[in-house]
Amino acid sequence: MKHMKFVAVLLIATFVLAACGPAAPATIKIGINAPITGDIPKVGEGTKFAAELWLEEIGGTINVGGKDYKVELVIEDNESKGESAAAVNTKLITQDEVLVIVGPQASKQAVPAGAVANDLETPMISPWSTNPATTKDRPWVFRTPFLDPFQGPVIANFVTDEFGFTKAGVLYDIASDYPKGLAEYFKQAWEELHGEGSVVAFESFTTGDTDFSAQLTKIMDAGAEFIFAPQYYNEVALIVKQAHELGFTGPIVGSDSWGSAETVNLCGEDCYGLFFSTHYAAEGATGATKEFIDKYNAKYGYVPDDVAALTWDSLNIVKTAIENCGKLTGDIKADRKCVRDAMANIKEFHGITGDMTFTEEGDPIKCAVIVRISEEGKFTFYKQVCP
Amino acid sequence: MTTETVSPPSTRQRFRAALLKAWEPYRSVPLLGWLVAILVAVGLERLVGLPLAYLLGMSKVPALLGVVVVLSDPIRIPSVLIYILLIYVVPIGLVARFTAPLFNRIAAYLMRYPLLVTALVHLLLLYADLHLWASISDYRILVARLTMIAIIVTLSLNLVNGYMGEFSCSHPGFMALGAYTASVFTLVLFVNDNRFGEAIFPPSWGPYFFPVGLVLGGVVSAIGALLVAIPSFRTRGDYLAIISLAFMFVVKSLFENMEVVGGARGVANQPDYATLPIVFVWTVLSVWIMNNFVRSTMGKALNAVRDDELAATAMTVDTRKTKMVAFLFAAFWAGVAGGLFAHVLHYINPDTFGIRKLAEVLAMVYFGGLNSVTGSIVGAVSLNLISEALRPLEIYKWIIIPIMLILIMIYRPTGLVAFTEFEIEKLFLPKGETSKGAGHGTA
Repeated sequence: MKHMKFVAVLLIATFVLAACGPAAPATIKIGINAPITGDIPKVGEGTKFAAELWLEEIGGTINVGGKDYKVELVIEDNESKGESAAAVNTKLITQDEVLVIVGPQASKQAVPAGAVANDLETPMISPWSTNPATTKDRPWVFRTPFLDPFQGPVIANFVTDEFGFTKAGVLYDIASDYPKGLAEYFKQAWEELHGEGSVVAFESFTTGDTDFSAQLTKIMDAGAEFIFAPQYYNEVALIVKQAHELGFTGPIVGSDSWGSAETVNLCGEDCYGLFFSTHYAAEGATGATKEFIDKYNAKYGYVPDDVAALTWDSLNIVKTAIENCGKLTGDIKADRKCVRDAMANIKEFHGITGDMTFTEEGDPIKCAVIVRISEEGKFTFYKQVCP
Repeated sequence: MTTETVSPPSTRQRFRAALLKAWEPYRSVPLLGWLVAILVAVGLERLVGLPLAYLLGMSKVPALLGVVVVLSDPIRIPSVLIYILLIYVVPIGLVARFTAPLFNRIAAYLMRYPLLVTALVHLLLLYADLHLWASISDYRILVARLTMIAIIVTLSLNLVNGYMGEFSCSHPGFMALGAYTASVFTLVLFVNDNRFGEAIFPPSWGPYFFPVGLVLGGVVSAIGALLVAIPSFRTRGDYLAIISLAFMFVVKSLFENMEVVGGARGVANQPDYATLPIVFVWTVLSVWIMNNFVRSTMGKALNAVRDDELAATAMTVDTRKTKMVAFLFAAFWAGVAGGLFAHVLHYINPDTFGIRKLAEVLAMVYFGGLNSVTGSIVGAVSLNLISEALRPLEIYKWIIIPIMLILIMIYRPTGLVAFTEFEIEKLFLPKGETSKGAGHGTA
């Protein structure tokens, strides 16, 4: 029975002591919800690297209202799954008590995660998601990239001005959210410019297909002057090579999903001279953009793609919003509200992917960049298209 | 573990003996006693968990027994251990031990009432435990809901892969059918949505009709299952696996090409109908019904078909009907689980119900144990919690979990708790000496 008494005393002592715990220290926690494992680990890696570089860049502190706050990044893996992204967001918000969340990147994670952030009233900014549902009717959710309804017309206008073509062929993945959406917006924009039926071929395939010769032949037979292929890097290489093998000589135009270093690695000379629209151009960049690229390249050994650049911008938007907040009360609910309001009111934010201002929906108004793949296989700036 | 041991076997034996001796008094603790003890522990956590966590240098109550905290910050191991000891181990141990006689008497008393009453008392206590534990943070609530949905899916797949002995791969497809049906049902009828337009009925009716949506989802899944079953039950073994796998891809492509439900972009904005109590009720219901099913004549016939179809036919079992019913029944529950899943996440897209979901569910079935209701629960809960807790390890998580599966397959090829019967009545019995006097009703 001696033991029992001892245990009881210890228990009571601990609980009494526990009642007067110390207060939380002055830190700002920023949650990063990234796909570090799963389908798109390269995207997760870019996110993580950009975030770590950013933390170094700001010296680990943010100054709010004359007081330095230590910044802590809480990086969590969402396995590139929707339910995991929601779980990660819930954990970041309720367990880690982060002030604001950056991520998730892909829409299939960002839509459910956005629902969680909105319900739990925590500001979230997705650097890469283009699905309208991510921010729709969600005052607490923002995004950094431009939306597909904007990118579609940008490409249609560019091709019309640059080449003077009137007949378009489109090849896209019907099973993937992003290419499908963009292909449809492009078709709409093109037909507005050149009339009904000017998209002479609108061909689709399914994720994982590697032989596109049937679709490409159809497109060529329909008399398309160019092909629009809003695909990811691995498919881009196959599509371009197969089109050239079949004797297609017109240009193949792409979208921001081409903006990975892998595109040129896989595609090689076949891709030289082609154009795509994107968020920023690494080659020939100047100012802050160049600074970011050089630092990233020096630290991790490769030129950052658009995910890294957009994550960097998202983090700086977060920083600006926190600074604009003026004062942190320590009451996490009030602070989150303050940061959300500050973020919604950001005007003319100068990011490395362009200047942006948020709309009511939390989507940015910003310019797109047309990039040309040079004869050295570099992504060179060609022109800027603004809304 | 042990370092300075002269003769390891004897130490181990002594350790084992000590462990058994320490466990001895707990043998007589009835389920009721455990549930109340857990209730005390989670109640305690609610009252003093947060201050204690602060005192031990943690900013929050450790959500999943502190594994997450430990993995991201190993220095915290002692404080997490102290926390678990003080909040869970010691209170549960003390309460369970010293109230055992009392709860044995109460359990004996309860035995005089119909099984339903006893079961309800236990379930209420179980829910109280879960509610108190989970409501400390939204994270726990979400993990608990997803885990319970995983239990339904795992158990329903176990009906086919374990009890019926076939290898079916179409469960994500059934889930998708249920999820889309239930989502469309609630979105069309009760939600002002820009895809499906104005709500037909007042949105406040939604939660009451949610069960209808779920059942409808289940029925649509069962119809889908009929489509697989008709051609594929003419074959056995590998062929069913291939046909069912094909069915899963068919369903995925179907939704990818259906513009009405958003195509690859998916359906969002499902209202929050699948709350913790609702998911709990459905999980209990599914476990109860599926358990009754496998213990019924039909369930025994199913086992007979698995072990030897010819012999079963000779013993007048209608093998075709038996297999059909079991397969449709399993699909029904997968559909219900899909509907719940959609309303927990508020978003579904075809990609969610792909090969990765299949791998997950199969892993839970084979990890937990074939032909066993307990096994399915163990598999779903442990794999879900492990996967959630190991998240900070990032890529290493995908080395640890597969290694675990491989080890299980080597040492227990049929899973952790395979080929057992889940006898609900026995669970509630009082234990130890007092159980002998159960009939007298000494309360």
